[in-house]
Amino acid sequence: MNNKVIMWSVLFLILLGLYILGEGMIFVEGIRVKFAAILLVSITIYYYIDRARSGEEIYLRTIPGLKALEEAVGRATEMGKSVLFVPGISDLDQVETITGLNILGHVAEHTAKYEASLNVPVSKSIVMEAARDICKESYLKSGRPDLYSDDMVHYISDEQFAYAAGVNGIMEREKPAACFYLGKFYAESLILAETGNSIGAIQIAGTGSMAQIPFFVTACDYTLIGEEFFTASAYLSKKPELLGSIKGQDIVKLMVMATMVLTVVLNGLFQAGWINFDILSYL
Amino acid sequence: MLLKRQIPLMIVIGVGLLTLFGNFINNESIRDFVDNDATQWFDIIASFAIFLGALNMLKLQLIKIIKKQKNWQYSILAVAGFAFAIFAGFFYRGANFITIADIQDGQLAIVSGIIAEELNETNPYDIKTKIMGSQDEYEIDKLFMTEGNAKLLMEKLTPFVGVINLKSKPWGAHVQTKGSLFYWMFINMITPLGATMFALLAFFVASASYRAFRIRNFEATLLLVAGIILMLGRVPIGNLIPWWVVSIMVMFGIGAIAAPFIKERKILLGIVGGGIIIFIISGTIMGWNQTPPALLSIPIIQDWIFAFPAMAGSRALMIGIALGIVATSFRIIIGLDKSVLGG
Repeated sequence: MNNKVIMWSVLFLILLGLYILGEGMIFVEGIRVKFAAILLVSITIYYYIDRARSGEEIYLRTIPGLKALEEAVGRATEMGKSVLFVPGISDLDQVETITGLNILGHVAEHTAKYEASLNVPVSKSIVMEAARDICKESYLKSGRPDLYSDDMVHYISDEQFAYAAGVNGIMEREKPAACFYLGKFYAESLILAETGNSIGAIQIAGTGSMAQIPFFVTACDYTLIGEEFFTASAYLSKKPELLGSIKGQDIVKLMVMATMVLTVVLNGLFQAGWINFDILSYL
Repeated sequence: MLLKRQIPLMIVIGVGLLTLFGNFINNESIRDFVDNDATQWFDIIASFAIFLGALNMLKLQLIKIIKKQKNWQYSILAVAGFAFAIFAGFFYRGANFITIADIQDGQLAIVSGIIAEELNETNPYDIKTKIMGSQDEYEIDKLFMTEGNAKLLMEKLTPFVGVINLKSKPWGAHVQTKGSLFYWMFINMITPLGATMFALLAFFVASASYRAFRIRNFEATLLLVAGIILMLGRVPIGNLIPWWVVSIMVMFGIGAIAAPFIKERKILLGIVGGGIIIFIISGTIMGWNQTPPALLSIPIIQDWIFAFPAMAGSRALMIGIALGIVATSFRIIIGLDKSVLGG
């Protein structure tokens, strides 16, 4: 065990100890497990970020949906058509929207590089401002600030189906060759994806909305399922600290799996009357 | 740079940490900030930001009309709709109502009759009771979109009442009040248009299901079979399907799975046919007509698929999504992911 693991473990125990000591006075009582879980998750992710920063190689499996991003923009360029990016209908207080905007930055870099036209209809004004900043930065980074225009990111409506109708209208009129649906979606997901399918666009989708994933899987060429969507910015940027956080996330997942198995076994033993320890009362 | 990057980043980190650890600190004002104030601040900022969006939308549509770009005619509708919504929200309230007071006892029956006729009530006595029961003044239970319509009723009532006033619901509240122009617009224009878009979903679900259910490989076949069982199990006819039909379906399913491994078609036919015969004979002997086994009941199979394999898959996805959200949030809170501040 290396020194850093010992240091972080000691820090974890100290913070947890402080919490237990201050329970009822400084800290809220009865949510000790929740605090420990947050602390453990944070420390694990930070530990792997630290390891990645100090040069450790992090392996990420190939994600076809993310690999196809550039291919889709290239296809649109070859066909002389535009690229449509839909960041969902939620505001910037949703992590999915932020992740979608992260990917928008990479898509904008490609559209700048290939000189393809980019169209980003949004449903929230704050998202519009953030998306504009991100696109501007990407075009600047690609050395093509002349191709950027504020109007490529434009507002349609806050209303869910008015927005869906607006985006569908754009699809039907402009017939973009590539459509990206990356953000938080609700019932409009299938309306958008099926319209995109009907115009023959290559479609890449990703969302954290559980109920919409099957619709995207059915109607799109590539879908970023579950955590794949949230790894996108790390995968695309290849920044070591972001890749480290993905490894940390996977280790946390492993811990969750181990906890689940352990809970099932311990609860089974308790139910059978073989032990007197009820694990469920602690969780 | 300091104003555009460092200070916003410090605000993000500070508020993020406060929100995360605020849940654990035993302090009412911190918890109040986390639960109420912070979300209200966001709502207020978002409400002001709507002007940016609305102006952007208006600018683009007007440019389209002025330059007569392709499909500019649709932009006229968009601008007209925008102007109408602004007019209904900020300049024309509607939601007028009439109050009456100081009615002589002898006139009460006549007044009640006029109001009952206006409200299409068959029993004026109810109105009379309400008028007598009102403390100060009686508010007629009808909202008028225009003052003109309200004045027509006032003209009928004026000879019989001492005091009659025309009032309107307050600004702001009028958008949610029946009888206001904004409410009319919402109910008669926005809601049906939204419902129309939503209804399109039914057709899109059908076309998407068709593509998903096409038998191309083992997974698609499994999806088709699970889909059919779920659809049948959730409708009343699913309960009426007898055990022997389900047993035939089960044997066909086994045959479909075994088919790639058995080259001799006669053997495959023998297995499927023999299985069906064995099922039916043993079922008849064991009295499955009266008490069919749970394994051969479509609603029970449907419940099982929903409660176990489907639930397990969705829970796994949910855990992955939750961890993804946690990791992304953590990166933002510690200032590692600055994309939210623009690139």
